[in-house]
Amino acid sequence: MIVGGCDLGSTTGKAAIMIDDKIYCGDIIPATTKPALTATMAMDSALKKAGLKSIDEIEYIIGTGYGRQKVPFASEDISEISCHGKGAYWALQSVRTIIDIGGQDCKAIAISDKGVVTQFEMNERCAAGTGRFFQVMAKVLTCGLEGIGSVSNISDNPVSISNQCSVFAESEVITLINDEKSIPDIITGINQSVAKRVVSLVRRVGIHDDVTLTGGCSKNLGLKKALENLLGTTIKPLPVDPQSIGAIGAAVFAKEKLLAKRAKELEVSSKE
Amino acid sequence: MKSGIKSEVYDKLAGIAGNVSNSEIENWQKQGGKIVGYFCPFIPEEIIIAGGFLPYKVRGTGSSDTSEADEYFDTKNCSFVRHCFNHALLGKFDFLDAMIVGTGCDHTRRIFDNWQVAPLKTKLVYLLDHPRTMGTEGMEETIISYYRAQLAKMKEYLENNFGVEITVPKLRNAIKLCNETRLFQKKLYELRKVENPPITAAEMASVLMAGASIPKEQYNEYLKTLLKDLSSVQGVKKDYQARLMIIGPAIEDPLFYSLFEENGGEIVIDDTCFGARYSMKSFIDEEAEDPLHAIAKYNVSDVPFCPKINGSHKNRIEFIDKMMKEYKVDGIIGQGYVACDPWGSSFGMLSAHMKDAGIPYLRLEREYISTETGQLSTRIQAFIETIGGRK
Repeated sequence: MIVGGCDLGSTTGKAAIMIDDKIYCGDIIPATTKPALTATMAMDSALKKAGLKSIDEIEYIIGTGYGRQKVPFASEDISEISCHGKGAYWALQSVRTIIDIGGQDCKAIAISDKGVVTQFEMNERCAAGTGRFFQVMAKVLTCGLEGIGSVSNISDNPVSISNQCSVFAESEVITLINDEKSIPDIITGINQSVAKRVVSLVRRVGIHDDVTLTGGCSKNLGLKKALENLLGTTIKPLPVDPQSIGAIGAAVFAKEKLLAKRAKELEVSSKE
Repeated sequence: MKSGIKSEVYDKLAGIAGNVSNSEIENWQKQGGKIVGYFCPFIPEEIIIAGGFLPYKVRGTGSSDTSEADEYFDTKNCSFVRHCFNHALLGKFDFLDAMIVGTGCDHTRRIFDNWQVAPLKTKLVYLLDHPRTMGTEGMEETIISYYRAQLAKMKEYLENNFGVEITVPKLRNAIKLCNETRLFQKKLYELRKVENPPITAAEMASVLMAGASIPKEQYNEYLKTLLKDLSSVQGVKKDYQARLMIIGPAIEDPLFYSLFEENGGEIVIDDTCFGARYSMKSFIDEEAEDPLHAIAKYNVSDVPFCPKINGSHKNRIEFIDKMMKEYKVDGIIGQGYVACDPWGSSFGMLSAHMKDAGIPYLRLEREYISTETGQLSTRIQAFIETIGGRK
């Protein structure tokens, strides 16, 4: 059985293909201005990784992410919240709390011991606590996203960033730069400020071990450390790329949907 | 999404709801009738009607920005008052002869302040104070008396400014008329108890909005016909995944409803201003010796309350629980405008209750007029999927 998932996020496109129980993730594709094109590029990369010649070999595809309704080859769409729950549970069955920090959203998702989403919280419409916030800061600090996320920039003496609005926080950081604060102190302060905001979301759904981190910002090691300090628990790493978890979850859903569809068809044909 | 209603009356009401003004308002004015605008469900239409006026519930239908109003209001004020005031500044409510503002929340109250200083055609504007506390033992009669006195003042204001007399028989007639509206609206709601309601939440919202924009006698006739039209039809069979109850301030944005319908949710009942809260609880005593007292009592003791009333949480929970059972609700949506102080703080309390009771609950912060719907849609879809996963 060959199924697929495509996660069209605000900033990147991801695709995953599942052949029997093995997952093949494509490369992370930066979003273009044409959602259908981003989806196709992401899926083409996954096809290559899975050694498939054509998308026609995939029997069922689920679209997810911000652009889930724009995935041209998807049979149906499922929200990224359900997909992150499904994907993280598939990757590590002991997960009960998922923190997904993407380009413009952050979400705290609680799942049951069966992997079903029981509750979630999502940031309100502003960019605070999301990848967009880091992008703005990386530009001001001219250090790139790698610099924000690097272990070498974790400091024991972080500054305090009080503004949660990314526009105001940007001014605050510019002031700190002009005060000649050290870059690692500022970067650690930025990561702590985002972590605080995210943790208040997580508290709403409850902190239950194991906790894992998904989405593009899971690659920010400074943020991961700040979250662990505030949560008082370790964040469990996943055995697959945490940025592709939404696409993986979509592929797992696709498999379930396809099995259910086949079972139904079998039932109908046995009645006839 | 349409339920497929085939009813001329529905089409007419939907047309009225879709615009700020309508032909019935124009006819009313042509015949010399006066129109009194109001904002909050606590402002009794009965007194306005008894004075021979047409009560008009001010709304921001069709508004797309708040740039005019932002000269007077701040981004800390909710989008509802800003859109409505923007309309006022653009002259869309120039047909009003007077405006009554209530002390609902602090945001709406500021409409009164700004109305006095802004260059608006409607010069008569009145502030009605509504009590803020209920449930204090031994205080009920004091609170009713206070509100009765406030209503008497409002009545005098209308009488003195328009040279009319609002008599006891006129008040009784107006109460009867509005009770009839409540009864018909309640019957309409009850049509949505079935598996495939013949009228959707968005369509229902249009019918209710229209009711606060045209003369009540005419509206009651329309409702009677609509009930007849709908009683014989079966709702279109829909493959929805969850029956939902929606609570919070007024929803006057059809696009917002469509986000639920598109994602497999059927809103069957609500606890919103000008929604079920208007018709679901009880009626005003038509035979009361002192109709003003009866109106005051209804508005401080009987109706389901918005959270601006101190001590109303228990009353709200009871109402929500009752409606959930009657309408077979699978999950609850708590929605409120950004910066809505009464609802904003009460959603946390509701959330705790829902958690204890094991009821799926989604809290949504939104603007009065939906523009960016992507994140709202994600939340709504995920919530409905969560309910589906539990089933």
